[in-house]
Amino acid sequence: MYRMRHLSVTIALAAGWLGLGALQAHGQEPRLVGRVSDPVRVQIDLLLDSARAAGLPTEPLVDRALEGASKRAPGDRILLAVRRLVDELRTAHDALGPRSTGAEVTAGASALHAGAAPTDLSRLRTLRQPRSLTIAAAVLADLVAAGVPAETATEAVLALAVNAEDDLYLAFRRDVERDIALGAAPEAALALRLPGTAAEADLSATQQGAQRPRKP
Amino acid sequence: MPELHDDLVERVTTSLKEPVRIDPALDARVMAEIEAYPAKSRGVLGVIRWLRTGRPLTVTPLGGLAVAASLVVLVVGSRLLFPPTPGSVGGATLGSLSDSAVIQFVIVAQNAGSVSLVGDFNDWDFSATPMQPVRRNGVWSITVPLAPGRYRYAFLVDGETWLADPSAPPAPDSDFGLPGSVVTVGGS
Repeated sequence: MYRMRHLSVTIALAAGWLGLGALQAHGQEPRLVGRVSDPVRVQIDLLLDSARAAGLPTEPLVDRALEGASKRAPGDRILLAVRRLVDELRTAHDALGPRSTGAEVTAGASALHAGAAPTDLSRLRTLRQPRSLTIAAAVLADLVAAGVPAETATEAVLALAVNAEDDLYLAFRRDVERDIALGAAPEAALALRLPGTAAEADLSATQQGAQRPRKP
Repeated sequence: MPELHDDLVERVTTSLKEPVRIDPALDARVMAEIEAYPAKSRGVLGVIRWLRTGRPLTVTPLGGLAVAASLVVLVVGSRLLFPPTPGSVGGATLGSLSDSAVIQFVIVAQNAGSVSLVGDFNDWDFSATPMQPVRRNGVWSITVPLAPGRYRYAFLVDGETWLADPSAPPAPDSDFGLPGSVVTVGGS
């Protein structure tokens, strides 16, 4: 009798646990309440559920919906923008592999939106191992946004992928942007800065290799 | 030998035939014990009493294995049903605030009454990050701690005019048709 009672309690606790997980997983996004109309919010909640189930980050989707709401975009345009971002996140996730982080997938989606190909992301993943590619992919998107053609920006980011640390990527982007602001053509600015940055990355990698303790 | 045996039987029989003497106070003691025993209550109090009462629990090795297997199935099943979303916990998709950088945003907006900074980092909330006038020449500024990542943002002047940051790359905005910018923050 006591065994039966304890079994009942165990089953009740397990059911409660699963129920709580279901509520958390399929709950409404509270930040969208009052910011978009109820029918649009319901559609976005479904998209968020779908993205969550696929292992995609949902925060960029909420951000995009809130951006549209703040800019007073019609509901159908907000939905279209969120759906497009879901597709880009999914493509980036597939290209980067299931072990990629949410930040990497988000940055990868930005790079895809800028014009990089999924195969470029896969190459970047391979070359950057085991480091994060978040900043590298974000810099690629930034360079394209600054006016550098997507293909040229992709080649430059891949050329630095093996040895450049994140700080060097950011300095490279800053230098190119500064040159563009001073009047240089975007492609010329990138071509001017890339050799020096690559040399600095190689030197840094060599020095780090020399500092590593050798085996006796 | 038979006579000795008969004598023993006779004495035992006689002893058994004697009336049993019972303590006259026995009935009273039994009734007092019964009254002192807690009455069986139902409802919430009964449940609480049942939960508070310790009981011996017998677990066989096979039963223990079954319980352990059930827990494994529950944990694995719940992870499959409700997979954790990378970066979705606590809304920290772009990185941890523990290695955040302080970013200064500056915009020149002559004759503006108010300027707000809105973006991915503040839920695009007009009232979340009001900028401060630096001097009387229309320069507005604000510093914001940001975790590593890439953010879209814009300036909103007097609650109606959207401005991009002229010192940052423009955000590709084919969706909503208003100007914006992007900022990428590196890790430590």
